Amino acid sequence: MQIAPEVALAFRSMARHRLRTFLMMAGVIVGIASLTVLNSIGEATKAATMKRFKNMVGTFDTILIRPGAGRTRGMVSLTNVPATLKFDDVEAILSSVPDVKQIAELQNAFDMDVKYRDRAISTAVFGISPNWLELRGDEVSQGSIFSVEEEKALARVAILGADAEAHLFPSESSIGKTIRIGEVPFQVEGVLKARGAGPGGGSLDDLILIPVSTASKRLFNRDFLTMLIVQLRDPNRSDAAVQGLTSLLRERHHLPPSALDDFTVSNPRAVMAQVTKMGSTLSKTLEGVAVLAMLIGGVVIMALMLIGVSERRREIGIRRCVGASRVDILLQFLLEALTISCAGGIVGVIVALAGTSIAARLQNLPVVLVWGVVGVSAALSLALGVLFGIYPAWKAAHIDPIAALRA
Amino acid sequence: MIDISHVCKSYSRGEECFVHALQGISFHVAASEFLAIRGPSGSGKSTLLNILGCLDVPTSGTYRLAGEDVSHCTDRELSRVRARRIGFIFQSFNLLPGTTARENVELPMIYGAGRVDRNKALSLLGRVGLKDRASHFANELSGGQQQRVAIARALVNDPPLILADEPTGNLDSTASQEVMAILKQLQEEGRTIILVTHDDAVAAYAAREIALRDGVISTDVRRPANLPNVERAAREMNHADRA
Repeated sequence: MQIAPEVALAFRSMARHRLRTFLMMAGVIVGIASLTVLNSIGEATKAATMKRFKNMVGTFDTILIRPGAGRTRGMVSLTNVPATLKFDDVEAILSSVPDVKQIAELQNAFDMDVKYRDRAISTAVFGISPNWLELRGDEVSQGSIFSVEEEKALARVAILGADAEAHLFPSESSIGKTIRIGEVPFQVEGVLKARGAGPGGGSLDDLILIPVSTASKRLFNRDFLTMLIVQLRDPNRSDAAVQGLTSLLRERHHLPPSALDDFTVSNPRAVMAQVTKMGSTLSKTLEGVAVLAMLIGGVVIMALMLIGVSERRREIGIRRCVGASRVDILLQFLLEALTISCAGGIVGVIVALAGTSIAARLQNLPVVLVWGVVGVSAALSLALGVLFGIYPAWKAAHIDPIAALRA
Repeated sequence: MIDISHVCKSYSRGEECFVHALQGISFHVAASEFLAIRGPSGSGKSTLLNILGCLDVPTSGTYRLAGEDVSHCTDRELSRVRARRIGFIFQSFNLLPGTTARENVELPMIYGAGRVDRNKALSLLGRVGLKDRASHFANELSGGQQQRVAIARALVNDPPLILADEPTGNLDSTASQEVMAILKQLQEEGRTIILVTHDDAVAAYAAREIALRDGVISTDVRRPANLPNVERAAREMNHADRA
């Protein structure tokens, strides 16, 4: 037997049974397309989650220190943390923990009344050291960030979050204007770039930043901090740094060995690992769904082929009588299944390409078509043809020719 | 041509339940003999036809076809024997649906020669009087025409043995006579014809008749063939061919 006439035969028989061929192909198309699309959506979601997470915590080579044992519920503020973390602690860490490169300080409060002329809002006020924005990865869209000198001089300057600015200055520029936080006047020096929604769904842009020294001495009259961001010289040494920080702070706070820490050190890299794991759980789930869809496609192929085999008993009998061996018949049916599943695979990938870009547009996700997945799809559609084609083909090869022809 | 010696065939139907379809059959068929096989259903006719046609091998005993022992051949070897040495003709014609007369005749060449010789297919269609029907589809032909296409198909690999299973069962008497006349011609050319039939008039073309009953040969008779209409039918065929 030669392969060329067999391929021709396979095509002729597919052309003769157009509806069946189309349905079989549809099974593969759905399977391959859903595998590719779901995988790509999984990857895109993972990438988007990472980006959003990075947006929330800032850079990854940092450690967060908060006052109080255990986790503070919600975002820290002056009203919900104990007064354990002092400005002196920052100086001490900088001078005696060598892994630490720099520390940004935060002293914040929510629901502060802020006024500009006749407009009033209630917003969060963050007293920060000037390096806070750098460590958070934030930038100003207008104006500038206050300087170290201004911070030392207890300057009454402010940087507005995008939402705060929009509410206070709906129709004019805010730069250089004087706002009142409580009863204290501040001059607006800059506006932050919008950051969007935070983890709880609230806006990350509804806030006002002022120098931490000004906040402590002129606004809040508190001598403790609500959070520190510690940047390390070498992110890979975060475990050692966490240990150094912890023992130093315990010593400074005079904690006996039996006492719990009165502060919490958290490592965003560990949290990041958690998020990454969540992301891959999601894509694994999607993968499972897609494999299920492929299996259904395969079962469709098998069912339709079995019907085809029983409808074509006579043809099989004729071929056997005129000299086709069982292997010839097996190959013929397998070739048909392969041709159909490969064609379905190709169309499926095309559908997936379209589907991915549509899904990406609707979900506002970056288009991530994973070419590896496309390769896997191609291989899987071949495997699908062989796997679900082999049994019907075997059945075809074992039909009793004389019985088939006498029926 | 054919040497069947002590051939038995049993099928298992579930555990410890065997059907003994053939129970020790022996006969010899010389080249260019015209043999009819008869017998009621369940007598082992189909099983014997399967073995003669190299679609199955005997459980025991030997089958020699043209000097070659095919009793223990693999499926692939049997397929080669079928393609080159045996032409099949069936009661229900069994042309492939959706293909033309010519393509049906070409089909065995795919498996036999591995190379399709279109001219040979056309000349065989001419021989059975269907030159002008070469590009007709099977369902556009009458029963007699379909059976003649089937005969052309059986001849395309030039086999020495023709197995005809009730070839006239679905034909009217005129078409039956045409088909039998062609078979007779083939026998006169030196081919061996084995015919399975219920019909006395058709069996009468054969010079020898084997009757099967319960898996054994009950009678094996030779007689001068009684061919009332052969000469006339052959003349008509040749006439149609020339026209």
